[in-house]
Amino acid sequence: MLTLTSPVKTPFHRLPAGLKMALMMGFGIAVMWAQSPGPLLVAAAVVIMLYLFCGPAVMRLALRALLSLWPFLGMLLIWGWWDGRMAQATLVSLRLGVMVAAANLVTMTTPLSEMLVVFETLARPFSRFIPPRRLALAFALVIRFVPEMGTTLQRLRDAWRARSRRRPGWRIVVPVLLSALDNADHTAEALRARGGVDGIGNADAKKPQPLPAEKA
Amino acid sequence: MTDQPHAAITIRTGPVTMPGGRVILQPLDLQLSERRIAVIGRNGSGKTSFMRLLAGLIRADHGAVTLQGADMYKDRRAALTQIGILFQNPDHQILMPTVTEELAFGLIQKGMARKEAEAEVARRLQVEGRSHWVDASTATLSGGQKQYLCLLAILMMQPQCLLLDEPFSGLDMPTALRLRRRLAQLPQQLITIGHDPRELGDCTRVLWFEAGRVQMDGPPETVLPVFTETMIRAGERDADTDLAS
Repeated sequence: MLTLTSPVKTPFHRLPAGLKMALMMGFGIAVMWAQSPGPLLVAAAVVIMLYLFCGPAVMRLALRALLSLWPFLGMLLIWGWWDGRMAQATLVSLRLGVMVAAANLVTMTTPLSEMLVVFETLARPFSRFIPPRRLALAFALVIRFVPEMGTTLQRLRDAWRARSRRRPGWRIVVPVLLSALDNADHTAEALRARGGVDGIGNADAKKPQPLPAEKA
Repeated sequence: MTDQPHAAITIRTGPVTMPGGRVILQPLDLQLSERRIAVIGRNGSGKTSFMRLLAGLIRADHGAVTLQGADMYKDRRAALTQIGILFQNPDHQILMPTVTEELAFGLIQKGMARKEAEAEVARRLQVEGRSHWVDASTATLSGGQKQYLCLLAILMMQPQCLLLDEPFSGLDMPTALRLRRRLAQLPQQLITIGHDPRELGDCTRVLWFEAGRVQMDGPPETVLPVFTETMIRAGERDADTDLAS
């Protein structure tokens, strides 16, 4: 889900992130409220229409992202059929599909940095417990390093396969964890090399320091 | 700013000991003021630890690395405006998911407002002819592009001295040549780790590390012939069987 970025600029890119997220929340509540398929089909039609504005490239990406939802929907429907509450299961599946599609649209058309600003604003009341800067940094680091861990897993699997006929299975877990810890060490050092978690200009001085013009 | 010596980095340190008790650097007493300094030595000789010590990322058991009176380990504010370090592996250096965030990070760390920092980044990328990098994800960059991004991130923090840990390793030839040209033009003091004596053409001082201490220290024409000869002799023996103890 983290690679959900629209390949082209859409009209929705221009809307403020906060507005999009508020609309998404309202939409989500409405969808949960609906107790019959009628309003849900209308909601689905609205989402499809919004996607139509974005062009084929975005629609293709959205469909591929929705594909990962099919196993869940399938299980829900099978359970509903077995339990004798097919209507209920259809309703829940429809809700899930419509909401994920809408949320994906918000994610795809909102730059991460704008999303983070919204989170920072929302977290401001809790700033005494979680400093907003640290929260933002934590978000950014997660987004930076989750795909990195995927790559590490792949790399260690390859290294295993290159020297064994058996599948690595659970035995790969410890090396992956150790590698993550090693990575954490490097990250801590890189962070220290550039001013640490809180920076050097923010600890006691709130206003920006002017930088001397570079001569190069 | 061309050939006058830079403010000297003063290194008066005791041994550097790892948490396990292993000594990775022996006591040092050095003054570094030359504009182009090379650090050479075999794998595991302490070159990278030396760089980390200079940058104030690690500290010695006693003593300090100082630049204009400021202790690089304790006074991080001073260290950041004076010394920038380029890690050997760019993946260990990049902290942010996108190019703009990565470049703006250092400026924000120095106290610039986010909007201002992002405008500065856009301006800089334009000067560098890389405006299309603004929204790029750092994960999609090639090795050479990542190296370039890391260098740019450091340059934007405007340190007076750059520490470069094997900046050319892993780069293809054209990329390495381009980076070399770029580095040669920088007015800053450069301290570069290298393996290959042929790469160290423009330095005026060479520090040769061996087993955590400075084996030889002098102009390249004195140090490099001895170094090369020693390395060739070591290569004829079975060179890489020793384990660091």
